[in-house]
Amino acid sequence: MARGQDGGPNRFLRVVNLIEDGILIVLLTVMIGFAVTQILLRNLFDTGIPWADPLLRILVLWVGLAGAVVATRLDNHISINILSRYLPRRIRPYARLIVDVFTAVVCGVVAFHAARLVMGEHEFGATAFGVVPVWIAELIIPLAFGIIALRYVVMGVQHGLELVRTSRRA
Amino acid sequence: MILTGILLLAIALLGAPLFAVIAASALLGFYRSEVDLSVVAIEIFRLTDTPALVAIPLFTFTGYILSESRASQRLVRLTDALLGWLPGGLAIVALAACAFFTALTGASGVTIIALGALLFPALMQAGYTERFSLGLITSSGSLGLLFPPSIALILYGVIAQQMSIGRPVLIDDLFIAGILPGLLMVALLSAWSMWVGRGAVKPSRKFSWCEARAALRDAMWEIPLPFIVLGGIYSGYFAISEAAAVSVLYVLIVEVVIYREIKLARMPQIMRDSMVLVGGVLIILSVSLASTNYLVDAGVPTKLFDFIRGHIDSPLTFLILLNVFLLVLGMILDIFSALIIIVPLILPIAVGYGVHPIHLGIIFLANMQIGYFTPPVGMNLFIASYRFNKSIIELYRATVPFLVILLIAVLIITYWPALSLGLIGSR
Repeated sequence: MARGQDGGPNRFLRVVNLIEDGILIVLLTVMIGFAVTQILLRNLFDTGIPWADPLLRILVLWVGLAGAVVATRLDNHISINILSRYLPRRIRPYARLIVDVFTAVVCGVVAFHAARLVMGEHEFGATAFGVVPVWIAELIIPLAFGIIALRYVVMGVQHGLELVRTSRRA
Repeated sequence: MILTGILLLAIALLGAPLFAVIAASALLGFYRSEVDLSVVAIEIFRLTDTPALVAIPLFTFTGYILSESRASQRLVRLTDALLGWLPGGLAIVALAACAFFTALTGASGVTIIALGALLFPALMQAGYTERFSLGLITSSGSLGLLFPPSIALILYGVIAQQMSIGRPVLIDDLFIAGILPGLLMVALLSAWSMWVGRGAVKPSRKFSWCEARAALRDAMWEIPLPFIVLGGIYSGYFAISEAAAVSVLYVLIVEVVIYREIKLARMPQIMRDSMVLVGGVLIILSVSLASTNYLVDAGVPTKLFDFIRGHIDSPLTFLILLNVFLLVLGMILDIFSALIIIVPLILPIAVGYGVHPIHLGIIFLANMQIGYFTPPVGMNLFIASYRFNKSIIELYRATVPFLVILLIAVLIITYWPALSLGLIGSR
């Protein structure tokens, strides 16, 4: 972690990181809470919350994508890194830049089309469970992919700047 | 189309996140077939169709809590008290404890870090060579993948259920099918350890009722966990996701309230770390729902099957090639992405050759388990190299005998379907 001057972009980033982590932790806590409540109700009182099961299934998607957002920040996504391990040191930054741009574009496209889907569902107005409409349940898809795309844009800019700096020094 | 395939492969090899590569292939495929691209988002949302998926974050979190507590030490003490008197006992203790711990925590390298630190010096002290001890710990890091409630088994079940192959693939059945093949692996490795240690290695202790009782009392609260979870699933009392919820609740009470080994302030960090792992897997699963759908629409599995059928007649040859293919795959891909990407392609083919889908799952995981420590990129080699401060080359050498033994186990598992399927039939 770069501990630079307080305030400005660093502080902003720290707040964003905290919010991302916080959302992930709250989602998991809610998931555990409902899963446990549901099974206690079933066994002790022979009853259950009718919408808890669909909620839990939607929470899996939310926890998964929120986890993926945090994994992006930690640069912890599953990838095949055989080739990059053996690439000459000089070429590695270029490979990294290509990867950043590619991932940013792909996630941006997914986010865009997911946003179109969400808007369509909003007009259509189907419900996922209880009073919760489908479009809210789907909202995490454009959000998560959008944030991941932004993260890769930022990483791309950082890696690009580093490249410029090292080539200028050489 | 071939050109795009090559480009995507190249960018994957450059280190692009696999989920982005898979998403790109789905986007391009649908774009070319002139399907509205929001279908990709619809497919991602299909992740919410599978109730069993709830088990994955819950079991993963359970595993992370267990590995943060001192459960690993109690487990080693208990197995030592019960098995340590056997000739070559300590190696068997190590194998049994690792298998058990990996089943609960998933083979994320946690086993090597949590148990290796205890077992490595103990093995050396008992008289095993450094090379043997290193090899044993490294290869045991993925032992236990076939035992319930392994996340890999659940994921295979979830993926197989998404495909319509005519036969239901129940996760409960997978949980039963993995037991004997898993025990076979532990037994073969144990036998070999006893052979290596004959003469030179003393049993770590005489059996003592006193120590056995003390070790049992020490682990008193953790011992019921497997019985509750597995008993509940096997008796049909719990669904998989319910068993996962019960295990979270139970482990939280035991480790946080009773043993008090995990402070509540540590909890956010554990939650985050475990869900980062889950997120990395689920985002790949979600986008691959879209790419798989495209592949099936385009008839790729059928074409692949026809192609293979044209060249290979006998199921036996098919199985041999399958083993070779999976071993190579295991060297390149981690177990979760391998499952997500490859199972939709080979499951229909394997079923076409008369392989039972449950048996295929066990074959798949058994092969992948070896991939964890095959050179050049087996993940556990790197973890062990880092943990024990040994060069990768030393670890390559140390794991070779274990590799050979597990290969034999994989061959037996592959060509003897009854070992996997026998217990299911009797249910």
